[in-house]
Amino acid sequence: MTNTVEETTSIRTEERSSLLGRVAGSPLVRLIVRRVLIAIPLLFAISVLVFALLEAMPGDPARQQAGMDATEEEVESVRKRLGLDRSPVERYVSWLLGFLTGNLGRSTVSGQSVAVLVGERMAVTMELVLLAFALSLVIALPIALLAARKPGGVFDRIVMVISMTLLAVPNYVLALLLVLVFAVSLRTLPAIGFVPIEDGLWENLRSVTLPVLALGVPISCFYARFLRGDLVEQMNSADYIETARAKGVGPWRVLWVHAFRNSSFGLLTLVGLNVGGLVGGTIIIEQIFAMPGLGMMMLQGAMSRDVAVVQICVFIFAAVAVFANLVVDVMYAVLDPRIRYGSR
Amino acid sequence: MKRIRNEGRSAARLIGSFAVVLGLGLTSVACAPGGQSDATDEGKSGEPQSGGDLTVLLDAGFAGGWATGLDPATSNTTGANLPQNSAIFGGLFTLESEEGAEAEIVPNQAESYEWTDEGRTLTITLRDGITFTDGTPMDADAVLWNWIRALNSGSTGAPRIDLKTDGPAPTLDPEFMDSLWAALPEDVNKADVESDLTAIQVVDDLTLKIQLNTVNGSLLNSFPGTNLNLIGSPTAYAEMGAEAFSLMPVAAGPFIVTSDKLNERLELEKNPDYFKEGLPYLDELTFQSVAGDQVAYQTLLAGQGDVIEGLSSVTLIEEAEKNPDVKVVLGAPTSPYVIQLNSRIAPFDDKRAREAIYYATDFDAINEGLFKGQGEMSQSFTASGGLFWEPDVEGYRTYDPEKAKEIVEELGGLKVTLGTTDIVTARSVTTALQTQWAEAGIDVEIEAQALGDVISDFVGGQWEAMLQTAGAWDPSVGIGVSVRFGSTSPYSGAPLPEGAANAGDALARGLETELDQLLADSIATIDPEERKARYAAVAKYISDEAYGPFGMAFSPAQVMRKNVYGPGLTTPIPALAVNQGVLYDRVWVESD
Repeated sequence: MTNTVEETTSIRTEERSSLLGRVAGSPLVRLIVRRVLIAIPLLFAISVLVFALLEAMPGDPARQQAGMDATEEEVESVRKRLGLDRSPVERYVSWLLGFLTGNLGRSTVSGQSVAVLVGERMAVTMELVLLAFALSLVIALPIALLAARKPGGVFDRIVMVISMTLLAVPNYVLALLLVLVFAVSLRTLPAIGFVPIEDGLWENLRSVTLPVLALGVPISCFYARFLRGDLVEQMNSADYIETARAKGVGPWRVLWVHAFRNSSFGLLTLVGLNVGGLVGGTIIIEQIFAMPGLGMMMLQGAMSRDVAVVQICVFIFAAVAVFANLVVDVMYAVLDPRIRYGSR
Repeated sequence: MKRIRNEGRSAARLIGSFAVVLGLGLTSVACAPGGQSDATDEGKSGEPQSGGDLTVLLDAGFAGGWATGLDPATSNTTGANLPQNSAIFGGLFTLESEEGAEAEIVPNQAESYEWTDEGRTLTITLRDGITFTDGTPMDADAVLWNWIRALNSGSTGAPRIDLKTDGPAPTLDPEFMDSLWAALPEDVNKADVESDLTAIQVVDDLTLKIQLNTVNGSLLNSFPGTNLNLIGSPTAYAEMGAEAFSLMPVAAGPFIVTSDKLNERLELEKNPDYFKEGLPYLDELTFQSVAGDQVAYQTLLAGQGDVIEGLSSVTLIEEAEKNPDVKVVLGAPTSPYVIQLNSRIAPFDDKRAREAIYYATDFDAINEGLFKGQGEMSQSFTASGGLFWEPDVEGYRTYDPEKAKEIVEELGGLKVTLGTTDIVTARSVTTALQTQWAEAGIDVEIEAQALGDVISDFVGGQWEAMLQTAGAWDPSVGIGVSVRFGSTSPYSGAPLPEGAANAGDALARGLETELDQLLADSIATIDPEERKARYAAVAKYISDEAYGPFGMAFSPAQVMRKNVYGPGLTTPIPALAVNQGVLYDRVWVESD
């Protein structure tokens, strides 16, 4: 017996609808949808807040652009050109409508398209952030496991002292120290500048090594200390650890398979919370290493009161942080069956 | 009366760059080799050599920023971007200084100039045969096209000139006018453009004349710091369009732009058709923006740069002087610190309070303590690198804490809010002043703010005292004496003219103070000797009325590799804005 084309199509449509219905009805999808729905007003609130803060910043951007000894007429002319003669609400609504329709506007200082500027710089910042993030985990995980293996031991104490010291050093100071050692003294890595990947992977990696170290090392210390503390606590007090030991499971296996699995959830949460800080750290690091990324663009925009540029940069940074937390929430829910989707 | 304008960053920059290093709290002691610099061979070299490349490191907060592009008509950073402008445009005039001689304005792409009509007409003749790098001629029409754009495109690099516009309007080629209108902003005031065309006229292919209503003795001196000096190709502009031209302007200077990443990196290569035979020496020149002095110095030590233009950090300058691998040439000081006192509101509307500040201030001690004695002391708005320098002013009130105390007691106490730009060195100076003034019984509150806030305070008029810098090579250009002490300047604390409600009212009614008249007189002659005498009168007036004590003038240093030479690098040229000028067509690198 054969179906007609119409019947086949109808069956497939029903199957698809059913599948979509199942997917849509799944707790995980509901969680994602809920988080996205929460993120929208959150990002909207952030955009309003950023606009309000820029508005409240002392100083007159029109006068700043017109120059110190410009006449009042000239300042007024600049104000009009920048659209500052309109009310803040009008300007915000205009920006929002532009944003929603994909028009990010033009830099009020350079006149360049903000979308183009963002596009050119996004890759630099993303590369820095992703590599720094990866580096921080690569450093933190083995160190934390080794330190937790023998709490109070020589390795643990050395690691804790070093990590505490590095945590106390601001990343811009660390950046300068790295430059002093690797660029000035050893001459092995460049002190400034960014080489795009298309100009050679090796040169690209050389150009980002120091900024990535400056960004990633302090975070790795943070992660290592947190994870080590959590692991030690698990090893000392958790019943399931005792049970595992009683069953004759070896100490490394207890640490790696049992304790780490539980501690990784805490680390995951920490990573999610930390993404904002990591992205924010690029503002100074990009400046120091003359990296043409979003952070540098945002700082320059803030100094010249380039509202269109600052607004979109802050928005992107906030969106990355929100997205990272969404991913963490989803991973948390996927990895830990004890978490009920609706409860978080 | 129109004034010369320039970038508004003198004070912030001069005190500013110190901050980066002091703020970071790091020096490169760890890696810099020790030893004394060989001061005796600085500036000395053999014959200049052609070839090679050079990377110049510029502070992102000043010369290393060119966010508004490099089209002189629309750039708002003309004064800050003198290095880039010198390399790309060359300039009609340059400020030059032979070693040991006073700096002077010298025709460059211009062949000569002449003042006639008792200083009311300036005639400029161009050198014959100069072409832009697109092959078109740099003639009088091209210069006129550039000047009209410069004056009518809203750039802060434009000078304000009191043009004589009541003469007969010239008849100009329609093609020229079409090209001009197409290159001007859409909302340009056509009447202003037509007025300018009446006052600025082409005499022949190589000659132009500018007619003024009033004598302007600083006009020519201001040229190298303004966009009138920078001539681009009208043909290239028409072909490229505004945005592309702003990124990669086409001119007749020693170098051609090959790559421009705004605010980040500018790459240039030698102009093979440069009008000076055998120049430029360099094959390639790159300007790299870096985040402040510390990063610049480390980048130089790391071998990624050859020259740091305008290193301000005293600590790093000392460090560099000890490093045998680099050369340090201190600039000619031009802009002293000044504590501006707002005489329009209490407490400094009382002259005795202003006098107390003079007597309570010991800038010598601050110079020794903070600047290791390297600053040059001045009692007025210039220093030895500038024109019309008079270090001492007759009757100037010098440090006398007892007298200060007496006055404060007579006043029944004195409370002062001392503002400054929020920069470490500036704050250090204000903290030192706070201590000194406290000894005289003056209660001081320091208000260190971002530059934008400082500007707002000035414009709002409710500030009491401000630590700033004043002056450049010519005291009338840049953030000069008129900006700090003219009654209608938003950045002045000198009294308003009698009967004027505010600066706008004074301007509208043509009201002036005696000091305004003295300031106007100081540019109302083209005779340098007369100007010097008139500035002496200005300095005496400011001192007598106690409008603001002056302190040390400190100039940024040029730091470079041992094998780099050139005017403005190994021989100082005074600052037209803040950093000293460099003539890049004559910069060369000694090969190994």
